[in-house]
Amino acid sequence: MAMPEFLNRWTRKAADANGRPPRPAPETPGEIVREALRTVLDPEVGVNIVDLGLVYAVEATEERVRTDITLTTPTCPLGETVAEDARAAIRQALPGVRDLSVRLVWEPAWTPAMMSDDARRQLGW
Amino acid sequence: MHAGSSAGDPAAASAPAPVTRSLPVRLGRAPLLALAALSMLAGVAGGLARLGVALPGPAADLTLHHGPLMVAGLFGTVIGLERAVAAGARWTFLGPLASGLAGLLLVAGGPVGVAAGLFALAGLVMLAGGLVMAVRHPALHTAVLAGGGACWLAGNLVWLAGRPLAEAVPWWIGFLVLVIAGERLELSRLLKPPPGRTALFLAAAALLAGGIVLSSLDRAGELAPVGPGLLALAAWLLRYDIARRTVRQGGLVRYVAVCLLGGYGWLAAGGLLALSDAAFARDAALHAVFLGFVLTMVFAHAPIILPALLKVTVPYRPLFYLHVAILHGSLALRLLADLTDRVELRACGGLGNALAILVFAAMTVASAVRGRTAGRRGPPSAP
Repeated sequence: MAMPEFLNRWTRKAADANGRPPRPAPETPGEIVREALRTVLDPEVGVNIVDLGLVYAVEATEERVRTDITLTTPTCPLGETVAEDARAAIRQALPGVRDLSVRLVWEPAWTPAMMSDDARRQLGW
Repeated sequence: MHAGSSAGDPAAASAPAPVTRSLPVRLGRAPLLALAALSMLAGVAGGLARLGVALPGPAADLTLHHGPLMVAGLFGTVIGLERAVAAGARWTFLGPLASGLAGLLLVAGGPVGVAAGLFALAGLVMLAGGLVMAVRHPALHTAVLAGGGACWLAGNLVWLAGRPLAEAVPWWIGFLVLVIAGERLELSRLLKPPPGRTALFLAAAALLAGGIVLSSLDRAGELAPVGPGLLALAAWLLRYDIARRTVRQGGLVRYVAVCLLGGYGWLAAGGLLALSDAAFARDAALHAVFLGFVLTMVFAHAPIILPALLKVTVPYRPLFYLHVAILHGSLALRLLADLTDRVELRACGGLGNALAILVFAAMTVASAVRGRTAGRRGPPSAP
């Protein structure tokens, strides 16, 4: 079923049109993991979990990755989904990883102050 | 998932295939959702029979249970399941199990008292889960979610005590509105806090809570006392919800925001209609809240929440706007019919409401199947 073109355009409007310069290519495994986690979006907010300040820790080598992530609240039911998306993104970015752990943690509690400047800009701060 | 637990078992994660440890748990959730779907189908059939739309089967017997099936059997089970997934503790799944079975009991013509007791158990579990969360993570939004659970329990206890169903209805409204508003309050923290945001929320929630108590305990479930609180919370949501900003994005994010903003409009309409003394204003107010506000929230969040509940992906499609448009259009028709007392038009509106639910279900299943097929094929860039 085809949709009128204007409706298609309206529903697909680009999210991020603020013309930021491209990010430098990641080099270390830690940078690669963080860059991979930028592909994991909060589905309702449309901002990635790194810029939202939800990635608390990344320890990475080519073969072993340990990551701690959180959610804005423990009352959110998306914890498992976000953790699985994070694991999938890391595996895709570092296919040689043999030991991968993505932990969901609640300490310290997330606060809006943890968001990056990019996220704040997107959210109108 | 328990708070602070590992989402990635190193032993499991080191295996070559990305096996998900929680998969059997998720599959166990499917029967609970199936029970909710059964309540929904039976509730819709009962609702249509009320409107004079003849359906084959025992639909006429379901007319009495239309409200409990839709609100308690469907929304209670779905929200109970969502809360249980967030809490992660196994005992919290007892709530949606109890409400799902209660819905089944009503459909099967079982004793209403037993069903009401099971719904009360579901309310007790949700309240307990909410209190545990609020104690572990003290915050206004966790307290509001616990308050929603308290309303759910209170409404079901009123019904269990043999009071008229109408006296349970204000509590059920409080349950759904507070749970949704509590979740939105939490997300609103992502925006720069304007002065008065929290104080105004508290005032609106207190207005609603006071209205519920007055309505249920003093006015035999009359909706007028609930109207101001609904209006106040709708105004708060329209002013402070993150949807006002995310609606400028695209794809799923915009779809969700459009649904939310539309839902808040219906919540405001429900508040106004609750204050009206037109002939069928009660039918109009209840359906503005339960269909316009709550069901629209379900439509909005299904593509996000189903992956969390069932490990299926429901890729967004622009066609999702279709069931939202059908729902809102037919609801407007129904409300117009209510206010002008036109029986046939109300039946048309009700049929449109049912069609919206069917289209939503079909679209969601089709999208999930498409997502599964795409998942098997792997990402386009994969070798």
